[in-house]
Amino acid sequence: MCDEIICRCEEIYRSEIEAAIEDGAVTVNEIKRFTRAGMGLCQGRTCRRLVERILSEKTGIPLSEIQPSTYRQPVRPVRSDLIQEYNNKDQKED
Amino acid sequence: MKGSLKTTGAPSLEELHNSPAYPTNEQLRKGPIAIIECIEEIPCNPCEAACSRGAITVGENITSLPKIDFEKCIACGACIAACPGLAIYIKDYTYSDTMALLSFPYEYYPLPQAGDTVQAVDRHGKYICDGKVIRVQNPKSNDHTAVITIEYPNEYFEEVVSIKRIVIS
Amino acid sequence: MIETELAIVGAGPAGLSAAIEARRAGAEVLLIDENSRPGGQLFKQIHKFFGSRSHKAGTRGMNIGTELLRESKELGIQTWLNGEVCGIEEGHKLWVVRDRSRSEIVKAKKIILSTGATENAVPFPGWELPGVMGAGAAQTMINVNRVLPGKKVIMLGSGNVGVIVAYQLLQAGAEVVAILEAAPKLGGYGVHTAKVSRAGVPFYVSHTIKQAFGTDHVEAVEIVKLDDSFKKVPGTERTLEVDTVCLATGLTPLTELAWLAGCKFCYVPVLGGHLPIHDDKMHSTQPDIFIAGDISGIEEASTAMEEGKLAGINAACELGYIAPEEAEVRSREIWDSLNSLRSGYFGQKRRDSKVSILQKSEELISYFKAMII
Repeated sequence: MCDEIICRCEEIYRSEIEAAIEDGAVTVNEIKRFTRAGMGLCQGRTCRRLVERILSEKTGIPLSEIQPSTYRQPVRPVRSDLIQEYNNKDQKED
Repeated sequence: MKGSLKTTGAPSLEELHNSPAYPTNEQLRKGPIAIIECIEEIPCNPCEAACSRGAITVGENITSLPKIDFEKCIACGACIAACPGLAIYIKDYTYSDTMALLSFPYEYYPLPQAGDTVQAVDRHGKYICDGKVIRVQNPKSNDHTAVITIEYPNEYFEEVVSIKRIVIS
Repeated sequence: MIETELAIVGAGPAGLSAAIEARRAGAEVLLIDENSRPGGQLFKQIHKFFGSRSHKAGTRGMNIGTELLRESKELGIQTWLNGEVCGIEEGHKLWVVRDRSRSEIVKAKKIILSTGATENAVPFPGWELPGVMGAGAAQTMINVNRVLPGKKVIMLGSGNVGVIVAYQLLQAGAEVVAILEAAPKLGGYGVHTAKVSRAGVPFYVSHTIKQAFGTDHVEAVEIVKLDDSFKKVPGTERTLEVDTVCLATGLTPLTELAWLAGCKFCYVPVLGGHLPIHDDKMHSTQPDIFIAGDISGIEEASTAMEEGKLAGINAACELGYIAPEEAEVRSREIWDSLNSLRSGYFGQKRRDSKVSILQKSEELISYFKAMII
């Protein structure tokens, strides 16, 4: 079968995710760090569940036991100066 | 089951005849009546309130299938546009010696106009015969669900349920 | 920093209903939504809703949206549009980016997360081609932006979203070439499938898309039959000419903020996967944080509105605006309404799953109580 893209933002193919699992990745976080799948603009909104499914299929770990990759703020793509502005305001409060 | 609601998308005649709202062959051909093609338990009951004669019953449990008392139904058509599932129409086998009448919900633009010849279709959208539009009702209270009435040869009485969309080229 | 008693994230059917209940009780409410218009998915729902009169059955979703907006306006609910909640920190502080141009911090005594859901994707070679989109995206294009995404559409998925959007694509003037369903049985309400069927749209059960072809846009898809274990059957491929592929393959709750807030989760496939655990007041496992609508399990706008009311009433109760006895009576009424929506062939599974979530919540509460003692 011809290969297919799983993470559209970072253009990561199924074969790359499967290779990461073959190389020892057993969590979504590890796959993310191996391949960058889920590290693009949408932060895994589209591919997150696809990666979880591939991991489950390849390793036999049931989907119910696969933890989603870690969420961090900002959970939306924002300009970096707005992160700076947030940090400044946040520190002022504390 | 071959040709069933859950495989083809449309209910088969067998499934309809087994559902509580569908009339018997005798009731079906007696004169104008409302027919509800609602054979699956979904939480919905506006048809019950739409009938001023109390002919339609869903009951306390809103997922129960609707039933019609054909003695009470006067085929006024108030239920047609009230059904969110567009699953109710009115048929009259006795309209004339050769022609039957069908009033059905229609939510596509452009609407046909009285006098137009239209293509009558079955539950799978297959062309069955030509029909003639008798009237088009689209009052504000229908909230954009027009009710189209057509006459068509009564030999196709049970198959025909709607018309082909009028496609603007 | 802006302080408020109750911050609600997401102004869809759940968030609006929550805001209306809480404001009516007297609470100070700030409703935040990332879109330029509130209402969530309601304004895309041009069809008449099911349910009973108390659920506004027979009314088109967009008109329910208009009604909720009118109420929220009359109550003077403060609403931030184009407000993206990017984070949530200890002390119930929300990081909000407004108009993509400035960061604000909102400190709230109570928070309701009603962030909705996102569409699931199905990958196949060629799915990255322009013309492949979520069914919800196509629905936004036709019903909100008045743009037809294509002329010949194939729909993957026969659940209610798939069949409703297929019907609305027909209404918008497109041709729907086929609706595919991977399972051996169609998923959506029979009245919806029947409506689309009599418009001449064929359904293919036990089928999926194998690949999409095209140079800079989808020009065709190859579909294939699936066996009982959902494996593609070689030799059953068939090519259909289409310019648009709509994926109606389920939704996933948008839970980022609940994860960041430290809510405990459970995995419930029937309701869309990982969900924050909640109790019968829509309270999450974190103090002062409530959830409502699709984030607490994928259902319908009608159930989202009821859950929103529950969250709004109980948040207002915790803020001291509604007596606990009254909140309980009103909550019980809403649960009756929810139970009637969650019954029958389609609803029972969701109802059972919801019961299992409430049980998990009770188990957790007794576990933590035991820890404290």
